[in-house]
Amino acid sequence: MAYKQTSQKFNAAINSVEIGTGNKTLALGGENVLPFYSFDGPILNPPRVGVEISDLGMNDKLAGMLNFYGDTQDVVELVKKASGMPGAEFICLVLDSADPDGENRSVEDCVAMVKSVEEAATLPLMVMGCGNTEKDTVLFEKISEALEGKNIVILSAKEENYKNVGASAGLAYGQKVGAESSVDINLAKQLNVLLTQLGVNNKNIIMNLGSATAGYGFEYVVSTMDRVKMAALGQNDTALQMPIVTPVSSETWSVKESLLEQEDMPEWGSRENRIIDMEVATAAACLAAGSNAVILRHPSTVEAISQMIKELI
Amino acid sequence: MPKITFIQEDGKELIFFASSGDTVLEASRKANVPIDAPCSGNASCGKCKVRLIKGELESAVTRHISELEYADGYRLACVSKIHEDVEVLVPDISSAYKSRMKITDLSSENELAIFEETRQNIKAAGLDLKNDWHVITCFMDIPTLDDTMPDNERLIRAVKKVTGFPDIHIMIPFSVIRILPDILRNNEFTVKCVLQKKKDCVILYGIYPEHINPVIAGIAVDIGTTSVSALLVNLENGEILAKSSAGNAQIRYGADVINRIVESCKPGGIQNLQKAIVDETINQMIDEMASFAQISRNDIVKMCIASNTTMNHLFLGINADHIRREPYIPCFFELRNIKASDVNVHIHPNADIIFAPNVGSYVGGDITAGALSSMIWNKEELSLFIDLGTNGEIVFGNKDFLMTCACSAGPAFEGGDISCGMRATDGAIEAVKINEVTGESVLSVIGEMKTKPVGICGSGIIDLVSELYRCKIIDSKGIFIDGNNRVTRDAFGMGTYMLVKPEDSGTIKGVFINEVDIDNFIRAKGAIFSAIKTLTESLDMKMSMIESVYVAGGIGSGINIKNSMNIGLFPKLPADCYHYIGNSSLSGAYASVLSDKVFKKVVEIGRNMTYIELSSNPGYMDEFMAACFIPHTDINLFEEK
Repeated sequence: MAYKQTSQKFNAAINSVEIGTGNKTLALGGENVLPFYSFDGPILNPPRVGVEISDLGMNDKLAGMLNFYGDTQDVVELVKKASGMPGAEFICLVLDSADPDGENRSVEDCVAMVKSVEEAATLPLMVMGCGNTEKDTVLFEKISEALEGKNIVILSAKEENYKNVGASAGLAYGQKVGAESSVDINLAKQLNVLLTQLGVNNKNIIMNLGSATAGYGFEYVVSTMDRVKMAALGQNDTALQMPIVTPVSSETWSVKESLLEQEDMPEWGSRENRIIDMEVATAAACLAAGSNAVILRHPSTVEAISQMIKELI
Repeated sequence: MPKITFIQEDGKELIFFASSGDTVLEASRKANVPIDAPCSGNASCGKCKVRLIKGELESAVTRHISELEYADGYRLACVSKIHEDVEVLVPDISSAYKSRMKITDLSSENELAIFEETRQNIKAAGLDLKNDWHVITCFMDIPTLDDTMPDNERLIRAVKKVTGFPDIHIMIPFSVIRILPDILRNNEFTVKCVLQKKKDCVILYGIYPEHINPVIAGIAVDIGTTSVSALLVNLENGEILAKSSAGNAQIRYGADVINRIVESCKPGGIQNLQKAIVDETINQMIDEMASFAQISRNDIVKMCIASNTTMNHLFLGINADHIRREPYIPCFFELRNIKASDVNVHIHPNADIIFAPNVGSYVGGDITAGALSSMIWNKEELSLFIDLGTNGEIVFGNKDFLMTCACSAGPAFEGGDISCGMRATDGAIEAVKINEVTGESVLSVIGEMKTKPVGICGSGIIDLVSELYRCKIIDSKGIFIDGNNRVTRDAFGMGTYMLVKPEDSGTIKGVFINEVDIDNFIRAKGAIFSAIKTLTESLDMKMSMIESVYVAGGIGSGINIKNSMNIGLFPKLPADCYHYIGNSSLSGAYASVLSDKVFKKVVEIGRNMTYIELSSNPGYMDEFMAACFIPHTDINLFEEK
């Protein structure tokens, strides 16, 4: 009997969310098939690749990084260079300097810096906080205000501060709101419901479901993303139809495989190669599980992952 | 050694020499001064408040004590270390579980009606509610030099003659033998006897002067993790002679069964826990009820216990540790031949204590007894029986099958783990309505007219959370939306909603609910709902197929079904599917103590139940997370159809 291909049709689709303005815009999501299932139907927008830049500059002088960025620590310079990175489609600026336990840079200075970064970048912008919820809440409000009309993505609103972040970024200043949860489909959905109950439009929300490095309990990530996509497409669950963005490098750069120097672990080989391997493996797994965008750090990873996407779609 | 003086509210003082560095709570336990500590001394529940009168304590500041209270001397017993001589006042709230014992007379008709209904239902199902209890009058010849038969043989002969059981063995317990010579001679050898005919013998429980009409009494007890209730009944006609409820005195050893088991494994722990439930709780209830009904404790000749598995183990002083350890094996499901004297219960020493059977480590006799009184074992329609207690237990089925599971809801429905929570007794707010425009609330308080509210019970909490959500004062996560003038936030950022201002209430703090309380409550309701969903779905059935729901538990009779559905505690079904059946565990125990046939039925129900272990069900945790939201993460389950 001849093989007959049946295709899996869904009546629902992931929201297509456009970020950025003018000639630097990018659409995320929009598909109505499972990840990379281009044989079931066309994939409206391929998964996107972003470059993560810390406003503290490069804290790790790796040959590949230096080779690409040169010896500059100026964040605007770094962003300009990242904008031209092969495969890069958006920039994710991390406001590490704002951390009250670190440099504790003032909100005003941060806002000014983000403004100049936005002007310098030729790609759409996502902004990630410093991790201190209180500081981030204020930062996000001021940044959303200062960049009104630029349609950036604020990463992220969490359960503790969704009201303030949703109200400022989502309602008052028309930015896209990242909704961050920690690898749990119910918590993700609850946060989306809370944001929409607040008045934030479904179509202005992007989910960060959380992640782990491949090999570090990554099954939970796969299961969560998988179930989110199945609920969104199969059950037309509008509270889960937001595209998924996954910050990968912040996870993969902090595991021991990425931290230990070659002197400490000679049998493991080059540290930089390990960093790239962990980043590539995790990012590829996230995309296969359902992420609509990944945020990466190393230029080689960015190139490899964007190459993979091109080959598969 | 520093000296600590505990002053109790009633003025009693107790001096104890503590080791330096002991906390007040540790010292109180050694000194056997009851201080309520549901969280076992982890500074998380805030219930172990004491007031420092003299001296200083090394005491950490916690969110449970306001600055005002701290200045007033209030300290948490569990975080206050003793280094010098001190005097502390143990306020009433600390010993609430003990002092709030309530003897209900027979005026509360609603409650009585529930027991009467159980009796009628069971009768209608064809089970005989009679037992072979008899009161007989024996006339004996007065002994002479020619008639030298000893007293006991004389009595046995007389009993055989009156009852017409010539060949059966007549057993006279020691308690009767001991008084026999005097009572026979003081009444000229004409006495009344209380006896029970069993299959192979007759037991002579009591002997009375002829002019006395002895009462053959039995006692039905529901031992809950948080509260205990009991009925004193006339075994001949089923009449309820007295009713009593009290907090379980074990509560100072922890709020839930796990903490109790942990405590019982410490040296002397099992004795302490047994003493707390038998001596400090049940025996005192028996005393009160017996004196209310004007009978002797020795007239109580049978007892039926319905309780969860841990509680019946601890009641008997049996090691319960294996209940909480994988593979979760209790010592027994069914138990026979326990006498009152085995466990030092102050009733007739030869009285049988019968236990409604356990079904699993976390589905106990309270549920088999409850399933009996819910009558779902006799129904055609698919029925759900829910017992809202510290452990939420659920039975689903009909006359053809019964499935059961248990979930840990925590004590929120009984007022535990809630700042102003209390059991459904005088002063408890049992219903709340909030005007969404003015923000004013209308309350219904248990007790006589104009009783000032002192706390809020389970049904009141359901109403309050539902109303707060409906009026958009809290969001779906149970967090306060700022802007309401009754909501304040403390230094830790935690929101509190003042329901009754201190000046309008019967306490110095007023009646309020905070975000931690609401979170505890949402977890409790999430546990119940997700258990219902998991249980029905494990049979490939939908919740919408449930035709009747029987709700039991000590959360107060006024449970508002509509509000319970609005917050996602119960599945969305037509409101008339729901029936409140009160303390079903107690009514099941009541029916079982009256009749051996009914007790046999309970045992049969227990054997027929299939127990599902939720903790080993991979989908349960997900369902639980989905249900910890108002009303539910999957809003479709609660939309009006």
